[in-house]
Amino acid sequence: MSKKKVSALDMPDVPMGQLPEHLNLQRTRLRCKADAPIHTESIQYSGAYASMGVDSSVDIKKFNSNFKVEIVRLTEDEIEFDMIGIDAALANAFRRILIAEVPTMAIKKILMVNNTSVIPDEVLAHRLGLIPLDADPRVFEYLSENDEPNERNTIVYKLDVSCKKGSPRITVKSDQLKWLPNGSELEIATLDKSSKVKSYTSFSCSQNSLPEISKKPLGVKHDDIILAQLGPGQEIELEAHAVKGIGKDHAKWSPVAATWYRMLPEVVLSEEVKGQDAEKLVKKCPVNVFDIEDLGNGDKKAVVANSRACTLCGECIRDVSEGLVKLRHVEDHFIFTIESVGALSPDELFIEAVKILEEKCHRQIVQLS
Amino acid sequence: MNAPDRYERFVVPEGTKKVSYERDTKIVNAAAFTIEREEHTVGNILRMQLHRDPNVLFAGYKLPHPLQYKIIVRIQTTSQSSPTQAYTQAIDDLDKELDYLKKSFEDEKNREEEKLRRGY
Repeated sequence: MSKKKVSALDMPDVPMGQLPEHLNLQRTRLRCKADAPIHTESIQYSGAYASMGVDSSVDIKKFNSNFKVEIVRLTEDEIEFDMIGIDAALANAFRRILIAEVPTMAIKKILMVNNTSVIPDEVLAHRLGLIPLDADPRVFEYLSENDEPNERNTIVYKLDVSCKKGSPRITVKSDQLKWLPNGSELEIATLDKSSKVKSYTSFSCSQNSLPEISKKPLGVKHDDIILAQLGPGQEIELEAHAVKGIGKDHAKWSPVAATWYRMLPEVVLSEEVKGQDAEKLVKKCPVNVFDIEDLGNGDKKAVVANSRACTLCGECIRDVSEGLVKLRHVEDHFIFTIESVGALSPDELFIEAVKILEEKCHRQIVQLS
Repeated sequence: MNAPDRYERFVVPEGTKKVSYERDTKIVNAAAFTIEREEHTVGNILRMQLHRDPNVLFAGYKLPHPLQYKIIVRIQTTSQSSPTQAYTQAIDDLDKELDYLKKSFEDEKNREEEKLRRGY
């Protein structure tokens, strides 16, 4: 193949306004070579390739016509879906918002009445804070320092366990956290004996009576989380208040276990690989991207069977001639995986994330004007 | 010991404006917007949307210091438009795109649930 360099403007069969094939590949595909990936920047600015007459500006109509969503797998805890036509900045923004800015409910304040176990107070409090709660945060409001804790912004739980003398050690699991729909039962100690007794929360009505909450009781999501172990004669009695917060404040308020995205891999064999080499290639790949195709009369050829499973480990390009296997990433096709901790289902989580990003945009415009 | 409180990352204190604007004295049609209590999540998206506008000559964002929770977005446009116009246009476009994205996702989710219900 002659490598005479021809200016892209002089290539005869490229119409004005379109890019020749090799430039289009550079622009839309990230190529993974043996030592490092190349063409990683997304050439998304509107003046790109302007000398070839290509209009790279993207307006709403272009975006709407190019954009597509495809859900691959949807279960109660996990969703895997494809978004085609968006940029890496948008994908990363969704990932960041899912981890840090979608609100959940988690235990924040603990009123310790009695703790004679071997677990110190603060360690027990930390463990209680990390328990995922089965409460829909969209029903609740934020509690700031000046607000009174009431039924709209607090959930109250009680833990009252003791181990009798003479009985064996017991394990305190998270199913022993009882929900108190009527609010706190502890009273604020005052010296003034005649004044009305006040409790730490001022619930005006039971949370059971609120229609949004009474659909199912507000418990913990997993009831086999070990909190502490009690020996004979030890007891724990405490009250826990849960409020709404976001992951940026503390990781206990993060609603996802793990959320990540990757770009769609494209594996291309630029030459024919036959016989023994084909067998070797198929064996090298740990996720079975390649497969053998029988050509008849004993001859075998390697074909790409499942390029979506490729993890870019680089095994297939390591010891072969350069350019035999082309590993590429499509730069605007993102495969998102969201694993939810449990309060909201993963598709609801994604919709909340989009709503939060929209609200950020709104707030900024309003502020400027 | 000197670390700021965690809620400082997202709570705008009283008296500071969320977005402030400063014109560049040396270059025409250039301005710097300071957005308080935001970081790469919003900054990168804004930069990407500004790049798609054919009237924008320069668009970039930076976080001056990781412990100061604000971003500075610098925009320079041609004489056809102004930085403020480019900024509001970019946010408006982003809003519409996100609306479309949300609708597409909800449609796809409903389609998927229909499929599951029919037991494919």
